[in-house]
Amino acid sequence: MASVTGTSACMTSLSCSFKQTQVGRISSVNSVSLSINGKSFPSLRMRSAPRFRVSCAAKPETVDKVCQIVKKQLALPADTTVTGESKFAALGADSLDTVEIVMGLEEEFGISVEEESAQTISTVQDAADLIEKLIETKSA
Amino acid sequence: MFSFVSKRLSLMMMTKVCCFQRNFSSALPPLVPVKLPSKMETHFWYVLPDEVKSESLLSQYSELLSPREKKNLYHMQGDQFKKSALLARVLVRTTIARYQTNCQVNPRSLKFKKTIYGKPEVDWENGDKWCPPPLHFNISHTSSLVACGVTVNVPIGIDVEEKQRRLKNKILAFAKRYFSPDEVKLLTAISDPEIQRQEFIKLWTLKEAYVKAVGRGFSAAPFNTFTIRARVVKMGGFHHFDTQHSEASEIVVESSDDPENLTRNWQFALLDLAGSHYAAICIEKENSAGGEAGVPMRLTVWKTIPFVEDERVSGTGAVVPISGLIKQL
Repeated sequence: MASVTGTSACMTSLSCSFKQTQVGRISSVNSVSLSINGKSFPSLRMRSAPRFRVSCAAKPETVDKVCQIVKKQLALPADTTVTGESKFAALGADSLDTVEIVMGLEEEFGISVEEESAQTISTVQDAADLIEKLIETKSA
Repeated sequence: MFSFVSKRLSLMMMTKVCCFQRNFSSALPPLVPVKLPSKMETHFWYVLPDEVKSESLLSQYSELLSPREKKNLYHMQGDQFKKSALLARVLVRTTIARYQTNCQVNPRSLKFKKTIYGKPEVDWENGDKWCPPPLHFNISHTSSLVACGVTVNVPIGIDVEEKQRRLKNKILAFAKRYFSPDEVKLLTAISDPEIQRQEFIKLWTLKEAYVKAVGRGFSAAPFNTFTIRARVVKMGGFHHFDTQHSEASEIVVESSDDPENLTRNWQFALLDLAGSHYAAICIEKENSAGGEAGVPMRLTVWKTIPFVEDERVSGTGAVVPISGLIKQL
């Protein structure tokens, strides 16, 4: 969620394409006109620092890797459908499985996941998003 | 195999029934009522999914679930897992319904909610005439055993795990990452890999049971901030324990975060259940008993197939105490 002067906009509802095409612009100007959910807003002045990030869904490759690790940990049959929306609980993961999966993800991606964050993960997508966020924070 | 669930999902209407009919379902016999555990007692109920073979019984079980529970079940993958998930909901609903001795409660009408920390609890309907019992419960299940622990007045946490459970990761690597330094030391000292694996699983169930009893999620008690270990207590006094050794071992938890006072309030039991599982139980001691050392957990265990048969198994070969001060009733 990001709040801008004059109105508050829910940034997470913006599509990924916004990030790709607009970021360069935002970082160099103080005002920008936004189109959110089809409505266009007047120019908004950014009060905070010019650098501005929009959080976005994780890359498909990351989601795929997570699916692979989950399938392996839970020894799921090859034809089981595991996607970003799959919930760990629905796949048959108990708490020990979940912790093992997190450990597998830590090793695979070279990150460290705190218990507080691990607790918020309920789907494969959640895990992939968290991984990318941690990778980003690590390299920043 | 579970297509009846999806059919029911579209046909079922939730009817709120409170306290009237004894036979809410013409096909299912009434549940055998049970007295609430006393303040110092723990009740432990379990189901072995492999013993529940009847498709029609499973179909009747699914009728007890709320629409949301049915929906969750529908989305689960794997027949074995689905079955144990169904039995877990049935076990908790029927177990709690058994304790309503003054008026018959339909297990289907029970509502559940979660605390702000995510711990499940009963959402008692606000009736003027009815004072809900101070009943606490906790569930745990594997694909081969489903369990529910019940206490009065004090929080309870339980965890069950297959004795044969194998980790995908290396035990010590896992322990170093998640367990406390003292626990890592203890596991490292075990040279036999099979014994080490068993001790790991036992420790895991105890730690899980503790976190579930505390009820504030993993982040309130990260695994590596507390140590659970067995401590030998002298057998002086009038308590009789079920362990075969001349010295009983008490399980204690020590926290590196909290002051010692808080961790002295928790009582543990570790059991070998049905020959196939480790079961850990953690309950909070009542204030009066908090200071007194060596008071056993009074425990009654039933194996059940809800509506079909209940068998009290405490004191039999199905329940073998491993550690903790336990008095089976």
